[in-house]
Amino acid sequence: MRSFLLKRLASAIITLWLLASIVFLVVNVLPGNVGRKVLGPFAPESEVIKYNARLGTDRALLAQYFTSIKRVFTLDFGTSYQFGTSVKGIIFPALLRSGKLALLAFVITIPISIAAGVYAARRQDKLSDRVIVNAGLASSSIPEFVTAAVLMSVFAVNFGIGEVYANPPAGTSLLGQLQYLMLPAMAMVVAYFGYIARMTRAGVIGALASDYARTATMKGMSKGQVMWRHVLRNALAPTITVISVQIGYLIGGIIGVEKVFNYAGLGSTMLTAVGSKDVPVLQGAVLLVGLVYMISTLLADLLIAYLNPRVRLETKR
Amino acid sequence: MTQSPLDGSGRKIGALETDLINSYTKGHLSRRQFVTRGSIMGLSVAFMGTIVAACGDDKDSGGTSGDGTSTGDSTGAAAGEIKQGGTLRIASQKPGSPLDPVAMDNLGSYTPVVTAFEYLVGKGDGAALAPMLAESWSPNDDGSVWTFKLRSGVKWHDGKPFTSADVVATLDRLAPGNLQAYIVEGAAKAIDDLTVEVTLNAPDGQFPAQLGVYNPQSVITPADYVAGTTLDAKPNGTGPFKLDKFDIATGATFVRNDEWWAGKPFLDKLEFIFSDSIDTQVTGLLGGAADAIVQFSVQGGDAVLSNPDVTVESIRGSAHRMIWMNTREGNFTDVRVRQAVALGIDRQALIDTVLKGKGDIGNDHPIAPVYEFWDSAQPQRTRDIEKAKALLKDAGKEGLKVTLVAPVLQEIPQLAELIQSQLKEIGMEVELNVLPYEGYYDNWCKVYDSTVAPAGCDGGAEFGIVDYGNRATPDVFLVKAYATGEWNSAHYISEPFNAAVAEYQASLDLAGRKGPISTIQKTATEDVPYVIPYFYNSLTAYKKNVSGIVATGLGHFYCGTAGFLA
Repeated sequence: MRSFLLKRLASAIITLWLLASIVFLVVNVLPGNVGRKVLGPFAPESEVIKYNARLGTDRALLAQYFTSIKRVFTLDFGTSYQFGTSVKGIIFPALLRSGKLALLAFVITIPISIAAGVYAARRQDKLSDRVIVNAGLASSSIPEFVTAAVLMSVFAVNFGIGEVYANPPAGTSLLGQLQYLMLPAMAMVVAYFGYIARMTRAGVIGALASDYARTATMKGMSKGQVMWRHVLRNALAPTITVISVQIGYLIGGIIGVEKVFNYAGLGSTMLTAVGSKDVPVLQGAVLLVGLVYMISTLLADLLIAYLNPRVRLETKR
Repeated sequence: MTQSPLDGSGRKIGALETDLINSYTKGHLSRRQFVTRGSIMGLSVAFMGTIVAACGDDKDSGGTSGDGTSTGDSTGAAAGEIKQGGTLRIASQKPGSPLDPVAMDNLGSYTPVVTAFEYLVGKGDGAALAPMLAESWSPNDDGSVWTFKLRSGVKWHDGKPFTSADVVATLDRLAPGNLQAYIVEGAAKAIDDLTVEVTLNAPDGQFPAQLGVYNPQSVITPADYVAGTTLDAKPNGTGPFKLDKFDIATGATFVRNDEWWAGKPFLDKLEFIFSDSIDTQVTGLLGGAADAIVQFSVQGGDAVLSNPDVTVESIRGSAHRMIWMNTREGNFTDVRVRQAVALGIDRQALIDTVLKGKGDIGNDHPIAPVYEFWDSAQPQRTRDIEKAKALLKDAGKEGLKVTLVAPVLQEIPQLAELIQSQLKEIGMEVELNVLPYEGYYDNWCKVYDSTVAPAGCDGGAEFGIVDYGNRATPDVFLVKAYATGEWNSAHYISEPFNAAVAEYQASLDLAGRKGPISTIQKTATEDVPYVIPYFYNSLTAYKKNVSGIVATGLGHFYCGTAGFLA
């Protein structure tokens, strides 16, 4: 287990470095220079030059690159070009907001989807299975921001159920906050239900057809016992992997939903940073998302290894 | 006259004021122009009222605001009492830069800053000015020195008294940048605790307008507010509400300032909810998350305009779009081609379609009808397809093919499409190149160096649309877009035009401005380096149960006398 962990950590660090480098390259390839972006198109050129000198954005690209990589590894996220405040003060609250929404979305989606997947697998090819599979396929095909806009329009604006802005006013109780996050979370549920349910269904069907499941049934175990003790822990591996990847996407990628509900999540923060060439904020946010991906995939791998001893043992050669 | 007369309150009436009064009594000015100009000069409303009455011209004497508060504009008054208390939730634009009063440059930053801080000169009725932190002001005989008498008893939110030291410090901070055309550091002197004397670089009869709402950076900040201080780092101000909480990503909360000099405000709290786009602000208003929206445009605001539960205010201004044509090289060097374009568009149709009627028609010059020196006698250019075709033929440019660049900004893409179809009717083939807002201005003027003469704006496209915001005076348009070249995307140089601009700037009263402005309008329209089809209104909206709001179209959303109706 230890060598497994160490190897994973080493690759994580290399991935982070690659990520930081790519972000730096991409942002510096965009048109416009930082001083001009921040001061606007009507500022005199002399002011722009002064500004760039102050920030060090007029130095050679290589020098800027080394500074930014050094900062990444000393966890010094730096200061925002656009706002002059610490990057941490911008990206950590955004992460918290995205995290709350992701948590709510998953707390609802995971149990429902897995249950539906198991249910469908046990009734394979019957009507209920077909309904779940096709409904899931249809709902997952709709882009989540479209679902978000429709939900907002129908429920919040038309029926007055739920809120048009997902960010609760300061001081709202935890239960009250749920009310604000419910509609965007439901948009995510609709988008991911089908995907996770189908993954689960496929895994369960495969495990049900395996020889160990057949052996357990022939030994005299009840259907429920077979499912719980043997099938699920083998069937869920792909589903767990998929969910762990989706967590990262939910934290940093659902800009559409954030925009519809005026929710200042990490995705929107990154978009603003791209537009204003705010490299420190962008780098910090992307790294944060990268970290979330890495932690969630690591946890997923650990969970799978725990559930399935073969995985654990296979790595020890 | 050797003796200087006094008005009823003991304020000296100098040469400039006398000229103004004489112009009015001789009938050269309308009552409205007299009152507007007089307010800029610092004449009191009461005094002007007596003159108006003496001339027997008082059929509209109730039109000007009777009291001295700048926020006491009667437009918001509805039938019903305003009740004490309540929190007003306002959908506003997310600040795009720190809340630094001197350096801020976007509407999102203006709104919170101008809620906490105030100006020397406030907004009166229409385009008129009114006392705010300055109770009165007056020029010397040639308008080169202005004296401001400050309001007494005003306190900062931190409890310290507001004095002339704060005004002097603020003006010194603005001298190197924002006010560099008017004053140098040290030009402002404190005569006593409540009197400030400002010596200008050159006489300017409209200087007080630079210390008012149309120059948002001119808010008065405390003497210890060194350059670079932001409102959220050091909350302070003299305004009706104090900053309580600020999160640049989500919003700002202000609480009532019980000691406000104009009286205790009705509302307990203001909650500004930030959004990146106008669409979400509109949704917030209509979906119940907000009670008001600071500013929105006709594009995307349809639902607000047609909503019966919402009051929409349409504020006329000088904001416009310029369609530039390179006069130096390319397809538009011949004035006949440019005139053809100007004659080929249908301005009223543009206003009706793109602005839903909410705008003033433009005549290819930047002198908006809201300016009191606007020459209304100039004939309005209207569409003439036959003449346009003939001009193109004479210039040998029949069937001309050109590319029009435009940014994705508010209604401009739709404007570009309509222009394309309108110009097709005069035989011009216009290809559209609608570009993202980010980085667009490189297509307008790549090089901004004002030290490169004669036209230092180079590298842009030959035909495109650019936006210009609301300004208290047209000076910035006239000088930068038409003359020295920093924004002169048309590379236009005209000695008669520049001479008229110099004459306009040097004149100290309305009568002196009218002549050069007439010339400016005529020359700009004839040479048409820029087609200016309209001046658009800015829109603000609030729920019908809200009253007393005063907005300016430049991010100000004054709630000092606002509240919920009982």
